[in-house]
Amino acid sequence: MLLRRYPFLLSLALLAPPLHAQDGEQLYGLYCAACHAPDGKGATGGAFPPLAGSEWVHGNPKRSVAIILKGIHGPIEVGGKSYNLEMPPQGDALGDDQIVAILNFVHKAWGNKGQEVKRDLVQVARDEFASRTKPWTAPELMKLFPLEKQPTALANLTSRVYKGQWVQTPDFSKIEAENVEEEHHGIIDLSIAALKQDFGIVWEGDFMAPADGEYEFQLDADDGARLLLNGHPVAEVKGLGAMANKQRISEGKVTLKAGANPIRIEYFQGKGIQDISLGWKIASAQQWQWLTPQAPSKSPSVPTIPLLPKDGRTVIYRNFIKGSSPRAIGFGFPSGVSMAYSADNLAPELLWADGFIDAGRHWTNRGQGFQPPMAANVITLSKQRFLPPSARFKGYTLDPKGNPTFNVKMEGQLLSDSWTLGENGTLIRTLSLTGGSSVLEIPLGDNPQVTPAKSVSLAPGKPVTVTYKLR
Amino acid sequence: MRPLLFLATLCTATLAQQKQSDFYTIDSIPLPPGEVMEIGSIALMPGDKVAVTTRRGDLWICEGAYGADLSQVKWTRFAHGLHEPLGMYWKDGSLYLTQRPEFSRIQDSDGDGSADVFETINSDWGINGDYHEYAFGTSPDKNGDVWIALCLTGSKNADSDWRGWTVRITPDGKMIPTCSGIRSPGGIGFNAEGDVFYTDNQGLWNGSSSLKWLKPGSFQGNPTGNKYHKLANLPAPPEPTSGSRVLAEHLKFPDYIPPAVVLPHGKVGQSPTAIVPDLSGGKFGPWAGQLYIGEQTHSQVQRVCLEKVNGIYQGAVFHFLEGFQCGIIPAKLDERGVLFVGGSNRGWASRGNQPFHFDRVKWNGKTPFEIHTMSAQPDGFTLTFTEPVDPAAAANPASYSMAAWTYILQKSYGSPEVDKATPIVKSATVAADGKSVRLVIDGLVRGHVHHLKAPGVKSTSGLTLWHPEAFYTLNEIPR
Repeated sequence: MLLRRYPFLLSLALLAPPLHAQDGEQLYGLYCAACHAPDGKGATGGAFPPLAGSEWVHGNPKRSVAIILKGIHGPIEVGGKSYNLEMPPQGDALGDDQIVAILNFVHKAWGNKGQEVKRDLVQVARDEFASRTKPWTAPELMKLFPLEKQPTALANLTSRVYKGQWVQTPDFSKIEAENVEEEHHGIIDLSIAALKQDFGIVWEGDFMAPADGEYEFQLDADDGARLLLNGHPVAEVKGLGAMANKQRISEGKVTLKAGANPIRIEYFQGKGIQDISLGWKIASAQQWQWLTPQAPSKSPSVPTIPLLPKDGRTVIYRNFIKGSSPRAIGFGFPSGVSMAYSADNLAPELLWADGFIDAGRHWTNRGQGFQPPMAANVITLSKQRFLPPSARFKGYTLDPKGNPTFNVKMEGQLLSDSWTLGENGTLIRTLSLTGGSSVLEIPLGDNPQVTPAKSVSLAPGKPVTVTYKLR
Repeated sequence: MRPLLFLATLCTATLAQQKQSDFYTIDSIPLPPGEVMEIGSIALMPGDKVAVTTRRGDLWICEGAYGADLSQVKWTRFAHGLHEPLGMYWKDGSLYLTQRPEFSRIQDSDGDGSADVFETINSDWGINGDYHEYAFGTSPDKNGDVWIALCLTGSKNADSDWRGWTVRITPDGKMIPTCSGIRSPGGIGFNAEGDVFYTDNQGLWNGSSSLKWLKPGSFQGNPTGNKYHKLANLPAPPEPTSGSRVLAEHLKFPDYIPPAVVLPHGKVGQSPTAIVPDLSGGKFGPWAGQLYIGEQTHSQVQRVCLEKVNGIYQGAVFHFLEGFQCGIIPAKLDERGVLFVGGSNRGWASRGNQPFHFDRVKWNGKTPFEIHTMSAQPDGFTLTFTEPVDPAAAANPASYSMAAWTYILQKSYGSPEVDKATPIVKSATVAADGKSVRLVIDGLVRGHVHHLKAPGVKSTSGLTLWHPEAFYTLNEIPR
């Protein structure tokens, strides 16, 4: 009838979104509302975690699917509040269509701005986590599906780090910065300096004021800080001091126009605790909004990621290892002995036992600085290059157990330096020289408890073995 | 009858909007479960294998990345313990990598499925432990050289040898410093002609991120690393004046090659990365011979068409693909028209909020209505289109508008848009076949970015342009 006479209406109908076979809101009421409440605020007046406004339903939609499939066990923080309950897994009770419908309802209900969940995402997640029998813990979920950072009012933020010893905020315009970086998160965060003491940071960017009007800013720091808006000082925490008693909080009021207002935050740290807190609000508002990281941890802490050899093979870590040069290559042998070879100095430099290395520093954030080996006692075999400037590192080869041979090319000669595991926590080093006729004197360092000889003579075609005792 | 007519017009108007999924599909390639795959390099291998490296130093090989059913992909870890590779290619049985400290060859010599040869081909540049001293490397150029762009220390200093330079590694492993003036590269690669380009990020001496031509012997704008010319007895690179303009300094110093295509900050991304020439001969859309640029912050891929005017590269950038789940770092286009992209947002946040991703993009064969090319004329620009345009709309100057600006070349971080101008479109002449329009424009400014908007242009079937904006860097005005 109508569709036959006006065929374009049929195409309109086809263009319209398809009706869901499942009603997400109904299914939510049936399966989820008991704990999360029909209004999404968490049952029994908030004893259960909310879904309305929850950071856990924003960001990567696969996280929501993973949670529904396997459930959650153990402590979890939602909206700044801690919960420690059990969410039972729903993966075997609900079909894919039902999960999709429920999540697409939850992701858009109560003001939520979560992402759409497509049907095949559920199947992909089922396959990916098929072997998982236990519910998720919050840390596992945060590692696989990091929570979205809420954007702050700071746009176009850059940071400059300075080194120096001051007793009050210095005139940074007279000092050369060590580093300049973009801070896309818009967060004032001291961890970007990766320093403990005697440093300063200056942030510059635009404070995006939501409306014309009067604004209040609250600044506190250990040690000192200054806040300027549109070039005018608004708040200042002077000199050395702590934040602990909140005695030094500086508040300032300023009138701003809606949109971008150039902002500058200066900070310096002496010794001891480092901290900064900066909040703002429209003068008439109740709640402060924070530009510095808030609870649970003030600065994102660097997780521990210990590397261990597996399956009888070595594990390799090529990065900045403290005690060696920038071109350090770390090898962790089974049974816990480790070494670091320097491709700058063309020699093994460090030996240690009982732990290899923690990759957390280099594998999170921007990966700054040098990481010490994971051992109380690190043996330094050498610190300098003894080979001539013409010598060149040619890389390394591995045997089937991952044992390395380091190769160095010199004028007409090739030096090979192989390492394998010996008995009782020893390392066996085999040095061989090919080509030419000159004998090479190889220094072994001054560590008589590790290896008795201080050097060894290496003739072409006559390999030499050295044993290093680490235990 | 009237309400139905209204509905009919609404229907047509809605149909006239083109969207990305009409032409391109982005498929997520499943990654090894539980692994942190912050992808820094991609290499295409024989047998439809694809190799990737991660920022944690792993090298994985993927089988099945071209398949119809991506749930069947198989991953094998080929190597680990590498130092942040950012550039990889396959050649003659080995994978070649540009790592932070060196250019290497990786090989499985005993056939057990994991790499056992890690040969250092060249490690003659300096690193000191600063995380910002990144090295981005290409595949071999037409002479067999690999080009490596060396980022500054802390993005503003040059504390280690050759930071701020682009070097090339010859087939026999020698390092030849080739261009100076680098600041903070995000990627390096070739155009379809095999000339070398890199992307440099907004920052000191870089008013806005740009695509820059690495003409051998050239200076690229940032003088921080100049001092290293002494290490190789090279002539001292130019010292530009802070507060000046790119054009003014280029006129003073002919070796200072202006950026080929400025990527206006915020309008066209914020952190450009990978450079990919389209050598698929039309299998990824009608863009054969053009160039794609990855974008980390906005999680996009832009499209660039280049030309040489008076011996200088320049051209236009168009928005192209968007909505990737993470920031894009490496990208590779297979000659069959499959685009692989990957990335990470660790340390530098991106719009796509996944911490890492590996995606494949394919074209479904349907041609979008787009500006195909934009080229400079003595008195304006010529636009070509992928489909014939509606002559009335395209001939109307009111269908177009243009704004022009440039940036301050200065020591401080970035620059606002300055020296603003409003070139006027005086006439638009449509070619007989409807596939090109000659714009005559009053008030072109040499050296400026010219931002063209063409919202009034329609195809003969009533479509508006999928991307109606172009940003052309007018380094040279043809005579």
